[in-house]
Amino acid sequence: MKFDLHIHSCLSPCADLEMSPAEIVRRAVAAGMGGIALTDHQSARNAPAIAECAKRAGLGCLFGLEVCTAEEVHTLALFDTVEQALAMTDFVYAAMPKRVNDPDTFGDQPVVTWDDDIVEMEWRILAMACRLPLAAASAKCHELGGIYIAAHVDRTAFSVFSQLGGIPAEGAFDAVELSRTADEKEWLPKVAEYAVTRSSDAHNLDDVARVWTEADLAAFSTAALKEAFAFRATRISPRITRF
Amino acid sequence: MTVSEICKKTGGTVASDAAGASADCVYVGDLLSDVMGHAGDGCALVTIQNHLNTIAVCTLVGCSVVVVCHSRPVPPDMAEAAAREGVAIIVTPLSQYAAALALSELPPSERK
Repeated sequence: MKFDLHIHSCLSPCADLEMSPAEIVRRAVAAGMGGIALTDHQSARNAPAIAECAKRAGLGCLFGLEVCTAEEVHTLALFDTVEQALAMTDFVYAAMPKRVNDPDTFGDQPVVTWDDDIVEMEWRILAMACRLPLAAASAKCHELGGIYIAAHVDRTAFSVFSQLGGIPAEGAFDAVELSRTADEKEWLPKVAEYAVTRSSDAHNLDDVARVWTEADLAAFSTAALKEAFAFRATRISPRITRF
Repeated sequence: MTVSEICKKTGGTVASDAAGASADCVYVGDLLSDVMGHAGDGCALVTIQNHLNTIAVCTLVGCSVVVVCHSRPVPPDMAEAAAREGVAIIVTPLSQYAAALALSELPPSERK
């Protein structure tokens, strides 16, 4: 089964507004994905919408968020249910700056329904870090039953390597993610102790499932992914070298 | 201090210019949440953060000059956002501390 575990919807201020849950699901199905994860910055408020879209399409779906920790490290917290993802969102929101988003500066943050109606605009600045240290975010994610992945570890900003010089705290992460352009010859040795995923980090529709991870999963669930991670049984797609 | 003066003092080059951009104080920071929380109006931001979000934070705190250290390259989306928001970007080979020393005639940035 192929899956893309890092996709932003229109809720992320930096993502295209055309990234509706319905269209993301259509693109993922068309690309042959067996599962996806919705990972907006600091929030899973579009999880209910994509849950309905994925159910209708028969697509596996995990619900999560890309937590930007106090260290400004991007991490993925992924869950089986919308309720878990929203509980993680509440935990992150409690540690967010109380400043109101300026859409002209950062971008719009619409919370939408499965059929593309806008419910409301999220007021928090989802583009900013929360006050949770990485270890606290990891612990909460695991307490809620989720899996925690270090996002795009090869990037020169917002990654464990750029912010902390390497992967911290044994047990904080269940896997590490390489970005779509990461050179696996360079990066796989640096993360040799970890299961590796590659996902699109799509912010626009054309990028959905452009790269992916593959594993033999009995079902698309966090339990099955954890097992694949434990056995280092994931395979990643080739990187993108041309845009 | 004007953009050209900051360039001269830091041995930098202008990666993205902005009419009227100048600084009357300096803030040094690589954590954008810290910059957002503490940098004040009119500062030059000395940082290694060479990406788009830096410009958004500058806009919020009222900073119109970014000094990117260690000759880090400025990506096109960062330069475009800077041009749009009236923020000048200077790239210097200096470290953050060396850049701060080079600009030492300006006072530290303080929140009013």
